[in-house]
Formats: sequence, C-alpha cells, structure tokens
Amino acid sequence: MTEFMRKHKGRRAFLSVCTIPALILFSVFMLYPTLNIFIISMYKWGGYSQHREFVGLDNFVKLFSDAKFWQSFQNTVLLIVIVTIVTMAMALLTAAVLTREKLRFKGFFRVVFYIPNILSAVVIAAIFSAVYDPSRGLLNTLLSFFTGGSAGQVLWLGDQKVVIYSIAIAMIWQAVGYYMVMYTASMSSVPESMYEAASLEGAGRVRQFFSITIPLIWTNIRTTLTFFIISSINISFLLVRAMTSGGPDGSTEVFLSYMYKQAYTNSSYGYGMAIGVLVFLFSFALSGIINLVTRRDSVDL
Amino acid sequence: MNRGDKLYRIFIYVVLILFALSIIVPVGWVFLASLKENAEFYQNPWSLPAGLYFENFARAWQEAHMGEYFLNSVIVTAVALGILLVVALPAAYVLARYKFGGRRLLRTLFMGGLFINVSYIVVPIFLMLVDAGNLVGTPIFLNNRFVLALVYASTALPFTIYLLSGYFQTLPKEYEEAAYVDGSGYMQTMIRVMIPMARPSVITVILFNFLSFWNEYIIAITLMTQDWAKTLPVGLMNLMKAQNAAAQYGQMYAGLVIVMLPTLILYILVQKKLTQGMNVGGLKD
Amino acid sequence: MKRFVALFCALILTLPLLASCGTREDDKDKDSDGKTILKVAVLESAYGKKMWENVAAAYEADHTDVKIELTAEKNLEDVIGSKMKSGDYPDVVHLATGREAGLTETMIRENSLADLSDILDEKVFGEDVSVKDKLIEGFTDTAATHPYDDDSMYMAPMFYGPCGLFYNAGLFAQKNWTVPTTWDEMWELGQKAEAEGMALFTYPTAGYFDSLMFALLCETGGVDFYNDCMRYKEGVWEDKNAREALDIVARIASYTEPTTVANANNDNYLKNQQLILDNKALFMPSGTWVVGEMADAPRSEGFEWGFMALPAIDSDSDRYSYTYFEQIWVPENAKHKDEAKDFIAYLYTDKAVKIFAESGAIQPIQGVSEILEGENKLFYSIYDTGAKPVLGGFAATDPVEGVSMTDTLFGTVNSIVSGDKTVDEWQNAIKKANDSLRKALKK
Repeated sequence: MTEFMRKHKGRRAFLSVCTIPALILFSVFMLYPTLNIFIISMYKWGGYSQHREFVGLDNFVKLFSDAKFWQSFQNTVLLIVIVTIVTMAMALLTAAVLTREKLRFKGFFRVVFYIPNILSAVVIAAIFSAVYDPSRGLLNTLLSFFTGGSAGQVLWLGDQKVVIYSIAIAMIWQAVGYYMVMYTASMSSVPESMYEAASLEGAGRVRQFFSITIPLIWTNIRTTLTFFIISSINISFLLVRAMTSGGPDGSTEVFLSYMYKQAYTNSSYGYGMAIGVLVFLFSFALSGIINLVTRRDSVDL
Repeated sequence: MNRGDKLYRIFIYVVLILFALSIIVPVGWVFLASLKENAEFYQNPWSLPAGLYFENFARAWQEAHMGEYFLNSVIVTAVALGILLVVALPAAYVLARYKFGGRRLLRTLFMGGLFINVSYIVVPIFLMLVDAGNLVGTPIFLNNRFVLALVYASTALPFTIYLLSGYFQTLPKEYEEAAYVDGSGYMQTMIRVMIPMARPSVITVILFNFLSFWNEYIIAITLMTQDWAKTLPVGLMNLMKAQNAAAQYGQMYAGLVIVMLPTLILYILVQKKLTQGMNVGGLKD
Repeated sequence: MKRFVALFCALILTLPLLASCGTREDDKDKDSDGKTILKVAVLESAYGKKMWENVAAAYEADHTDVKIELTAEKNLEDVIGSKMKSGDYPDVVHLATGREAGLTETMIRENSLADLSDILDEKVFGEDVSVKDKLIEGFTDTAATHPYDDDSMYMAPMFYGPCGLFYNAGLFAQKNWTVPTTWDEMWELGQKAEAEGMALFTYPTAGYFDSLMFALLCETGGVDFYNDCMRYKEGVWEDKNAREALDIVARIASYTEPTTVANANNDNYLKNQQLILDNKALFMPSGTWVVGEMADAPRSEGFEWGFMALPAIDSDSDRYSYTYFEQIWVPENAKHKDEAKDFIAYLYTDKAVKIFAESGAIQPIQGVSEILEGENKLFYSIYDTGAKPVLGGFAATDPVEGVSMTDTLFGTVNSIVSGDKTVDEWQNAIKKANDSLRKALKK
C-alpha cells in the first residue's frame, strides 16, 4: 500500500514538473496579454498617459460604423479567400505531380519551391518592392521587353484595383512551397496499389487525383487549412506593413495594420485593442466554420 | 507513350520551371544587386553587376551595425530554442501519454493558443514588461536578450507542443513498460528512453523554430528599443529606411543577403530532414 | 541525443548571464560628479546630429552643473515612445507635429506637455534680449505652439522653412519656359510638358499636400477662411472656396506622373523626388529639407533647384507659401523641467543659432536671413519677393476613434490621382471628419 502511495505521489510530482513550466510561460506571455487585450478594448486610452476611461462596449459600437475598418475587413477577407484557394490548389497540384509522375529534377524542384518559406517577411517585402517598382522593377522591365517599349506599365503597388492582388501574389509565393512539401509527404504514404487498381478500372489522372489522392489526405488538408488562415492574417500584416503601409489611400489596409494605425498613430489605443479582440474572435469563428464545412467521413488506410 | 502524354509532360515541365524561376530569379537578383555600385541601380535592373563591389557588405556589417545585430540574433535564437525544448518536450510527452486530471484543460488551453496572433499581443506583453520593470525599479526587462528569447519560446509553445505530442502519440506503449520493468522512474524513462525516440520530430521543431525566431521582427522591434539590442531583421528594417533616404541601395541589398544567407545555408544542409520531419511530426492528423 | 539535451541545458544556464549583462542602467538622475543629467531627445533629420552635439557641448561649457545626455535617432518615436510608456521621460524633446507616428499629437491630445510660456519672457543667455523679442513675429501665434486655444505655449518654435513647389530651374532655362505665376499658366505649361513626354506634377507622399492645401485655402478663401478650416468650423468644407481648392488639387492630380502613387509611401517616396531630378516631372510640393535629402542622388545635366510659392488664382491675387516649423517641447512628466526650459531658451542664443544654421537648420530669429548663403538664401527670401506666409495647422482635438483629418484630407489625394474617388466623395468625407472632430475640440 505504501509502495503504491509513494509511486502515486511520484507520478503527481513528475506530471507537475513536466507541465508547470510550460503552463507558467504560456500564461504569462500569451494568456495574460490576450486577456489584457479584452480588458483594454473597453477603455478609451491614448496609450501614454495614466488617464483611462472605461467606456464599456463603446469601442465596438464605433467599429461597426467605421468605414475604414470595414475596408480593412474586406481586404483581409479578400486576401484570405484568394490566397487560400490559389495556394491550396497550386500546392496540391504540384505535390500530386511531384509524387505521381516520373519526372527528372524532382528533388531540385522541391528544394527550390520551399525557399520562400525560409525567408523573413522583411526580406520578402524588400524583394517584392524591387520586383514591383514601376519604372525600374524586375516585372515591368521584363514586360516592356516583351511588349517592346514602356507602354502598358502596370502600377503593381499604385493602382488601387491591382495592389491588393500584388500583395496576394507575394503571399502565395511565400506559402505554396511549404504546403506543397507538406502534401507531398502525406501523398507519398498513399499506397501505390490503390492507384494501380484505379488504373485498371480505367480512371485517368484527374479522376485518381479527385477520388483517391484528395480523400485520402483530407484530414491533412483540413488541419493545414486552419493553420493557413491564421497565419495568413499575420503574414498579410507583415507584408503590408513593410510594402505599402496600407496604402494607397487604405486600399491594402488589413486588420492588423489598421489596428496598429489606430492604436499608435490615432492615439486610440483602446480602440485598436477592440480591433484585436475582433481579429481573435474572427479567426476562431473562421476555423470553426472551416472545420464544419470540411467535415467528411474520414477515409482510413 | 502517346502524344497527349508527351504534351502533358512538357506542359508540366514548363509550369514547374516557370514556378522555380519565379523564385530563383528574384532571390538570385538580390545577391547580384548586393554587389552593385550605387550608380548601377539607376540603370536596367536586369544588367549584371559591373564589378564585385564587396564594400557594400563591409559597410553594412560595420557602419550599419549588422555585425552586432547578427550576434544578437544568434544569442536570442539559441537561448529561445534551448528554453523551448526544455519546457515543451516534457509537457508534450506528458500530455500525449498520461491520463491525469486537468489534462483536457491543458490541451484545450494550448490548442486555443494556436489562435492567438503574436502581432496583437506584443503590445500588452511590452506593457507588462514595463510594469514589471517599474516594480523592480529599473527597466531591466526591455532590451534584454534573455527576455526576448523567453517571449519567443513562450509564443512558440502551442505549436511546438501540438507537433511534439502528435509524434509522441504514435510511439508504442511497450517501450515505457519495458523501462518501468527495468526499474527506471518516470523522469528517467522520459529522458533516457522516450525523448531520444522523438528525435525526428525534435529536429523538425528545432528547424522550424529556428527559422521563425531568426526571421521574427514584430516582437523584436517592440521589445528592443535601443540600438545595440536590435536583432538582424529589425536592423534590416532600419537599414532599408535609412539607406533609402540616402539612396544607398547596394548596402541595403547587402543587408538583405546577410539576413538571408544563414537560413539559406542551413536549409541547403538540412533540407532533407526538414521536409521529412514535416511528415513524421504529427501534422498528418 | 543525451549530449544534445545536455548541450542545450548548458546553453540555457550560461546565456542569461551573457544576455543580461548587456542591459544597461539608464535611469540615472545625477552623474558621479553630482551634475544634473538633462536628457535631450531629438529627431535626427536631414540636418544630421552633429549640430546637436555641438550645441549640447556649448551648453555644457556655459553650464558646468549640467551634463546633457543626447539621444538623436531617425526613428525617435520608436525609441522614446516605448521609454515613455515605461515611465522614463526625456526632459527635452525635439519632434515636430505632422509626423507619420504622430507622437507629438498624442502628447497634445493627452495633455502631457509642460507649459513653456515663461520661456518667452526669459532673457536669452548672455544677451540683453528676451526670447519673445528675438523670435520673428507670428511664430508663437498659432495652434502649432498654442494647441489649446488659450494663452499658454506648450511647444517652442524651432527650425522653420518655407514650403512650396520645387522644380529644376536648369530645365526651365534650357527649354526657355517661364515659371508659372498663376494656376492658369500652370495648366498651360502642363500641356507643353505633356507634349515633351514630361508630367507636370509629382509628390513624395500624399501627406505632402498639407502645406499645399493650407496655402491653397488661403488663396481661395483668405487667411480667416483658412483659420476656420483649421478650427473645424461648421460648414467650411461645403463653402465654394473649399471646393475651389479641392478642384485645383484634382486638376493637379490629373497632371500627376503616373507612377507617383505606386511610390507614394514612406519606403519609396524618394523615387518620386527623383522624378524631378530626372526631368520626368516638373513640380513637386515639398519643404527645404528636400535639398539635403537628395544631396547624393544622381541628377540630369544642368540641374539646379528652383523654388516658388504656389501660383496665384488670378494675376492680381496673393500668392501664399506655408511656413513649416518644427517644435521642441517638454513632457509634463519630465524630471528636470526648469533645466529643460533653460536649455530651450539657450537654443535661441546667437551662438546656438549659428551652429544650427551651419548645418542648414534655420530658426525663426529676427535677422536670420542675413547669415544665410547659397540655395538657402533663395528659399528663405521667398517672403521678401511677395509671397505671404501661412502658419499653423489643425487645432488639437481629443482622439476620435477611426477618424483622421490628415488621412481624409491628404491621403485621399492618392485616390483622386488614380481616379478611384471623385471630388464629391472626397468633399463629403472631409465634411464628415470635420463634423466629428469639431465635437472633440480641446476646450
């Protein structure tokens, strides 16, 4: 009996030693600051003085009639939708091609596609600034080489109808490789025999892709989708901040860049935190929705 | 092979090559641009550098203090990885393989942490460190590489624990049972038997977090307010601003290369492990 | 693996020592000799920081009981902003309003500035004249020094400069063009330039329309009308004078070099300024600092800076040029407010004025134009050749969530240029911002 007790106690101590440090760090540097955002979002506070005024949900009410906030909301959603669809499609297709087809230089392609993912957002922003420059940029000088002349210059970061897509391209460029490698890994675990059987039944590449590959890695796609959306909100901010500062005239303002603008430049710190709260709830809700929409009977191997 | 097949293969190659070029060309261009003299930036961007103007690097390294920032980045990244592993490995192991009261709560907490975006909690973190500094009388928590590393490690916890416990779950029970029969305790079993078995996913975790710590700039820009304490990406942001103002493009691109190169080298060295690890690392479920 | 873990444990144990020995103590009041430490934080702008070091040294030589701790940074807001949040306030801050980060505006809105009114009556160190009498008239009459519409000065005027349109005088000589003096001549020139493949206008960022708009409002409606606009008076933006100003800006927009908008942000604005040096655009609104900013940039042959006030509405109406000046202030929570005021008064001594002027930083001191030379002489003589000065800016308000007059009034210019918004939409948005800011005016 005492032996059991001793062991039991040892187990408790062991579990505590293992989990408590993580719990402390997590609480101090993630949980507490997050709670703080919720609290400050109910104050009117400029950020510097000692003077804070409790205003309840006032900041949220104002948000709903703030056209600039809705613009940043639209931009964020647009980016999430476009970037997610294009990235996922490209990643899945290239992954399928690289696992299914007998190609040369597979390893080379895989290595190269992954490179953008290891670069800092600051570096990516600098690269794309050089690419998008209207008169001395890589893209426009390349285009003028084909069109023969300077005609038809595209203002990648200046045209308000184009600029959001320019940001989207940078985001896709950054993300495709990562997800491609991830899907390649899971696709290679799909047994070859299933494809052989499908071939015998006369199913072509496209059929095989949709009726074998996709269903079998569906759980993987679901998980990555959630991660992807959360990280998109962040990456879009990092790129916008270093490339356009939200401009021209707010046309690339996203959630977090608008939050920073309000919290710092417009001396409305509490208001900025209210935006932070909405972003948090938004990403939570969105991943809930995605979880629901993508629910399928899982196919086990 | 029929004709359609051939066309299809050509098409695939063309697409893959174009995609590869879209990555190689801009990245390679930065390397070339870092060797150009200032006047060359007013000419065709596609032209090759006239000579190898290495002075850009010397000036970025010294005048723009990229050398100091490099050291800061190395220290912060190493310490953060150390803390992260020591804290996350036991937690992930226990959460994956033991049933105990509060386990569900802990798992939910850490899962919820995945939704917290570092970009908006960084300011509350800053204010918290400020308050803590006021309590002890001096602002020792700002411009402190150890604190920055601690924040990095903490914000990486949810993802790391998620990844590691996913891997621990796949290990068979027999190993622990055998170890217990041999008379080793919980702690011993974990350190001697189980953690070594998780090696592939540990390597993945190290690589992933190395990249994210090395490249991070939002937290660093907020917590490191003084010049000497900056990390590389923050220094690069400054360099971009400052050199833009003086139209010193060569130096700016040299700075870009200084930030990129370590990650590129590491990636080339370990790319097999990195991409393998993604599969084993529990991301499958 | 064991070695691996052990290595990391060792790293963790040793590195905190390494890392934390780097933290420096910087919250000291007096140095080891018992001197008062005065913390002076200044923006390192195009003038450089050398002049501040020299002035600080001169002050220390004249005041042996004070040691100056100088912080000069390009991103001063980042550096002192976070320090102030942590309760560590500089004693003197040289940072103007109208910057992107808006730190000074935040200080105003939060009533966190110290009252500096008594500096004006203080005698300038070693001279038999008060600060007030040494300053050029008009510089302490506006919201830029008296933000709360009362008699108290919270910010002291420092470096000033006329704003207007910059161009390549060499190009005008080559082409035998006359510099336009009315807006009609301006539009005519636009046609001529277009025929030569040049655009009439460019601008660094949309924010630079502040000085242009302020002067333009004076031209269309007079100085009183301009002041009404600055105080958010009801209905000012529906006025026909306001509309005329907006229409002129829209016309400027239609003549703007097409790549301008793409580079009109803080990271790329120099590319727009380069358009003037490359003869791709004729005019841009800016201030005198642009010359220093572009000093190292390559330029077309025969390039020579030209500078003028805004063209007049008619040949017999007044031309205006906005006078920009930077402010220096003291945080209410500074430790050494009296020493700080004394230091600011010292900045108006002949000795300091001369040190600043050598780096091209000109203070609004009586007779300062006599010590100027070169391009500066041309710039600062703009008011001698007929243009009228415009001073000040928008009155201070409490922060209004989601509303920013500068964003609405100037930021929208980007959309006017690209055709994404009409002047009507613009006018409506300004009117709305005007209404909500009026309610928040500081009393």
